[in-house]
Amino acid sequence: MTVEVSSLKELVEQASGTSGSPDTQEYFVNMGPQHPSTHGVLRLVLKLDGERVLRCIPVLGYIHRSIEKISEHMNYMNCVHLTDRMDYLSSIMNNWAVAKAVEEAAGIEVNDRIQYIRTIFAELERIQSHQLWWGVLGMDLGAFTPFLYGIRDREVLNDVMEETIGARLTMNYVLPGGLMADIHPNFVNRVKEFIKYFRPKLDEYDDLLTGNVIIQERLRNVGVLSAQTAVQYGATGPVLRGSGVAFDLRKDHPYGVYDQADFEVPVGTVGDSWDRYWVRVEEMRQSLRIVEQLLDNIPPGDYLVKKLNSKIKLPEGRYYSQLETARGILGVFITSDKKDEPYRLHYRSPNFNNLWCLEPMIKGDYIASLIGAMSSLDLVIPDIDR
Amino acid sequence: MTTTTSDQANIESPPMDFGDLKSQCVAPRPSIMGRRRSLSGILWLSAKGILRGLLTTLSYFRRPSTVVTQQYPENRDTLQMFERYRGRLSLIHNEDGEHGCTGCQICERLCPNGSIIVTKDKKNEATGKPALDQFIWRQDTCTFCNICVLVCPFDTLEMTGDFESSVYDRRLLVFNLNEYAGPTADQLEKLGDEELAKAQMKPMKKYQGPVPMCGGELDGIPKLDTGKSDDA
Ligand code: SF4
Ligand code: SF4
Repeated sequence: MTVEVSSLKELVEQASGTSGSPDTQEYFVNMGPQHPSTHGVLRLVLKLDGERVLRCIPVLGYIHRSIEKISEHMNYMNCVHLTDRMDYLSSIMNNWAVAKAVEEAAGIEVNDRIQYIRTIFAELERIQSHQLWWGVLGMDLGAFTPFLYGIRDREVLNDVMEETIGARLTMNYVLPGGLMADIHPNFVNRVKEFIKYFRPKLDEYDDLLTGNVIIQERLRNVGVLSAQTAVQYGATGPVLRGSGVAFDLRKDHPYGVYDQADFEVPVGTVGDSWDRYWVRVEEMRQSLRIVEQLLDNIPPGDYLVKKLNSKIKLPEGRYYSQLETARGILGVFITSDKKDEPYRLHYRSPNFNNLWCLEPMIKGDYIASLIGAMSSLDLVIPDIDR
Repeated sequence: MTTTTSDQANIESPPMDFGDLKSQCVAPRPSIMGRRRSLSGILWLSAKGILRGLLTTLSYFRRPSTVVTQQYPENRDTLQMFERYRGRLSLIHNEDGEHGCTGCQICERLCPNGSIIVTKDKKNEATGKPALDQFIWRQDTCTFCNICVLVCPFDTLEMTGDFESSVYDRRLLVFNLNEYAGPTADQLEKLGDEELAKAQMKPMKKYQGPVPMCGGELDGIPKLDTGKSDDA
């Protein structure tokens, strides 16, 4: 299979190149950029035949803020705070990705305490991101109640993180060489309370949505993505694992202290939206497990190993580092010319690749299924455009 | 035009090998519309699934204490923000109304988006040292990244929990944080002369001096003091 790279104009011309016979009902529809279920300013050009989707062409650029270019004029500490604004639901993991790249390149060793706290926060973020996704998936499919339940539990978790960090969405907590602040004295107890609170709520989620026949029928066998296509399109995260490819950086190339935690990687079998749904719900349970195991063993130590306003200069060269965010692999590519600012900073963001899986997924299916399939991809648009 | 209807369809290649993944769990696929189920079975399971969801929602009528709605404007008096909450930047003033900012401009240099402008008096007559003139903070461009608080070598900045900062005019979001222009609390103490120290503290209003975008007039908003600024 070939992946063509062409302009939208060519694509539309190509797609509309069919015969002009009066019998056909092929037409174009714009979905977005202001559509409630595209979760942001994403525009999809759909070629429809009746209600069937023949082509689905994503059009990007409506929320481009040139984060990569701005980063070229900033020191590495400041670069980190811009990553909050890419995938805003995994801001700590984004911060960590840059911090990890800089630390690896500059040879900064961080102590165990920092690694433990980073890992715990990353897993808590993964849970809150999936909580929101779960609620929004229900809302996209026409059920409003799950959204309230998802947000309710996310609020509890957000409060726990807010107590330590001081922010709720754009957290900017991880810095190259450590953390912005030590954990709050209440943190460990509050996380324990949260775990106790959230375990039964996950079963409630199952009662509300998973057992519901309407949801099942709208997700099962909808948006089937084969393992091969997923790999070809570079999909990562739950989208890839839902298609049956058991690839998770946390297991395969452990970073942080994931190698000290015992957890499993949920994997789907068919690759439809239902599998992706299950993978994410199961991931919440596994994340709870990881946090539970690490929480009592946070070693003592400093929370910052590098002085804050010291200039971090990377040796000349190119550096790549990646980690697994809630939506897949976020890669950070830094080209350095010995200054304290990157010469070029590039992000390989998970949502960009996941988005392009939409077309092979949905080709030939109904437009109503497109909503469910797109929701199961869990897209965050600012991460696509950056 | 093809749609996929079978569960086993569409994995064309054998599972690809990405190294030794130690433990994985296969997602279960509970299904109501199983292939071998009778129509009555399907109907029963479907009804059960929907009823169970409804019962979950209904059960919250029995325990209203678990419903969590914040009555926000009403609970203003009792609302407590976390101590680390990043609501608004402020310059710490001690009980005598003296701050500790030397005007070293480190925060200005390290702020990622130029939200801080620090101007200083090159040489204060009394102390002979540089002294802060204006600490201008642009709340409208600040991203609340907390970097300025962390890098200040004298720990004179803090984030307070005051989050109600909406105004009707954007210009009102650019203001001075310091209550007076003059030397720090330490330097004033070293002078040893209270009269002289008092004389060094020139009161500074919230909107005063060359704060950007000031000067225009708008209904209901007093004209801002432009000082020596010439921008309109
Ligand atoms: S919080 Fe960040 S953006 Fe805001 S003034 Fe401080 S350094 Fe600048
Ligand atoms: S607030 Fe701190 S860093 Fe900023 S000018 Fe004053 S003393 Fe320097």
